[in-house]
Amino acid sequence: MKVPPIVSCAVAAAAILLAPLAQAHHSNSAFYVTKVITIKGVVKEFKWTNPHVWVIVTVDDGKGNKVDWKAEGRPPGILARAGWTPKILQPGETVTIDLSPAKDDTASGLIARVTKEDGTILANAPPPTE
Amino acid sequence: MKSQVRSQVRAARIAFALVVPLALLAQTTPDFSGVYYPVNPFGNFRGGPPAGARPTASAPLADGSTGRGPDEPLLTPEYMAKWKEISKSLVAGSSEYDLTAKCLPPGMPAVMSMFYGMEVMHDKDKITFFSELNDAMRRVYLDGRKPSQKALDDPTYAGYSTGHWERDTLVVDTVAIRGDTFIEGITPHSEAMTVHERIRLIEPTLLEDRITVSDPKALKKPWETVKTYRKAKPGTGTDELREFACAEGIADAK
Amino acid sequence: MKALLIALSVTGAMYAQAPPDFSGVYYPVNPFGRFTGGPAAGAATSTPKGPPPRPTASAPLSDGSRGRAPDAPSLTPEYMAKWEMISKTRIAGSSEYDLTAKCLPPGMPGMMSMAYGMEVMQNKDKITFFSELNDALRRVYLDGRKPSQKVLDDPTYAGYSTGHWEGGTLLVDTVALRDNTFIEGFTPHSDAMTVHERIRLKEPGLLEDQITVTDPKALTKPWETVKTYRKAKPGTGTDELREFACAEGLGEAK
Repeated sequence: MKVPPIVSCAVAAAAILLAPLAQAHHSNSAFYVTKVITIKGVVKEFKWTNPHVWVIVTVDDGKGNKVDWKAEGRPPGILARAGWTPKILQPGETVTIDLSPAKDDTASGLIARVTKEDGTILANAPPPTE
Repeated sequence: MKSQVRSQVRAARIAFALVVPLALLAQTTPDFSGVYYPVNPFGNFRGGPPAGARPTASAPLADGSTGRGPDEPLLTPEYMAKWKEISKSLVAGSSEYDLTAKCLPPGMPAVMSMFYGMEVMHDKDKITFFSELNDAMRRVYLDGRKPSQKALDDPTYAGYSTGHWERDTLVVDTVAIRGDTFIEGITPHSEAMTVHERIRLIEPTLLEDRITVSDPKALKKPWETVKTYRKAKPGTGTDELREFACAEGIADAK
Repeated sequence: MKALLIALSVTGAMYAQAPPDFSGVYYPVNPFGRFTGGPAAGAATSTPKGPPPRPTASAPLSDGSRGRAPDAPSLTPEYMAKWEMISKTRIAGSSEYDLTAKCLPPGMPGMMSMAYGMEVMQNKDKITFFSELNDALRRVYLDGRKPSQKVLDDPTYAGYSTGHWEGGTLLVDTVALRDNTFIEGFTPHSDAMTVHERIRLKEPGLLEDQITVTDPKALTKPWETVKTYRKAKPGTGTDELREFACAEGLGEAK
């Protein structure tokens, strides 16, 4: 069945608008795991979701632009054993995040560590068993 | 000397015959372990017409287009409105509100419909119910522990279940259930929902789960339902469940 | 009195021969091999001298860019070529060959890395191993049954496992494994792969799984690895695993 041009245009437009966010689930190979950069900003959203916890942070790039970084954490069950809770971060609070940047150059990364303004450190894994 | 040994052996045999059964009797709780299939999981859906006749349906109608059944949970006006919205989207063909289509766990108490098979494992500290549909697991802690604040602050699909034995009946309470699941079908509920169950073997191979759902925000009164499950016959191959691996059916993730 | 003592010691001997109970919640010891975690992975502990050092990695490098480890399975040229092809895609950032990222079960023996937590339930007929990563379950049948033709014709991620006790060690054989999984990391295998395990408690609270993977098509020789798991301490809340519900992260399913 031939698709009328206007329909395929609309589909293409929809595909662009609905392009998968960095919040889709993907593997660690999507990040430079042995490289860690540090960002500091204000929490816009904290998502305690399966299978990954997300911290969306608004970062000032120093040139007057604000960029929303999407920092991906481990699953909630694992972070809970590292001391995180569903409300450990609140929108509006300032955090410093050490993360491994994404290979696709988007403003996203895999969390290595989160440090709250009061100095509380949130590791990305529970302490080792031995 | 010989007769002394003989009488000692006889005494030992008697003592043995007494001790072993007593030791075994000490374990009085029944064993629910095994693979089961639900009895009449689709309620009023009669399945097909008589064999050979042309089928008139492929599955139960589950979009609410025929209204609320008389034995369904009695919703408050606020939750009735939510239900109508969900029904509209299902009637239109959307799977937006269909958790199992998205490969998500059905949640409590819906998972206890066990539409496909159920696998139960238990010991004195824990009983687990595994649903073949979407490989969903729930655990019931039997060692007397209570949900921690951490568990209460982190609602899940299965919720947090604790139970204890009342003779041959397992009494279970489930709290901390996510608010975005359905009680059954597409009936919504609030985060205040809790589930109470009384589970027992009504025959050696027939397990019964009497479920009571309480939700002061969403339900006008607690809702009750009973699920029964028949234990699979050994040696027929039906006492082995197969993995579901639902996510294969979802288009490539990024 | 003497007779009672004899009876009790006989009963005791009977129970002493019962196999060990592996049931419980465990965490893997050193699940990421040479990746030692610690400050490099963002540890939360401050040192007496001040804040912890800046992390230098967020996760183990798993794209093959450092080549094959000396203790990795020894692949035939055909399967080495497959591995290299997959490695290229991972270095480029693709998740195309990542089963767990797609919310699929890791398969056997991959799931026994138990990257997160493991929950074991056991009775005399069956032992189940549940992996917190992607809520994956495998069953080991202990009642002497053998895989049926139906099972052999239907490979699954977990495969079909049967086991028996030799004293305190559980011997397990797994067949009927899907060939799209990875032995470890992203090491591919053929449909001829089988897995043999020897599982025992090395000490109370420390479970050990000695795994041997045989694959005449993909491996130049059988591959061996050992996994160890520490039982969770009761009363710390860590002896409760949380559901994974991976599919939430997959976005809209069709």
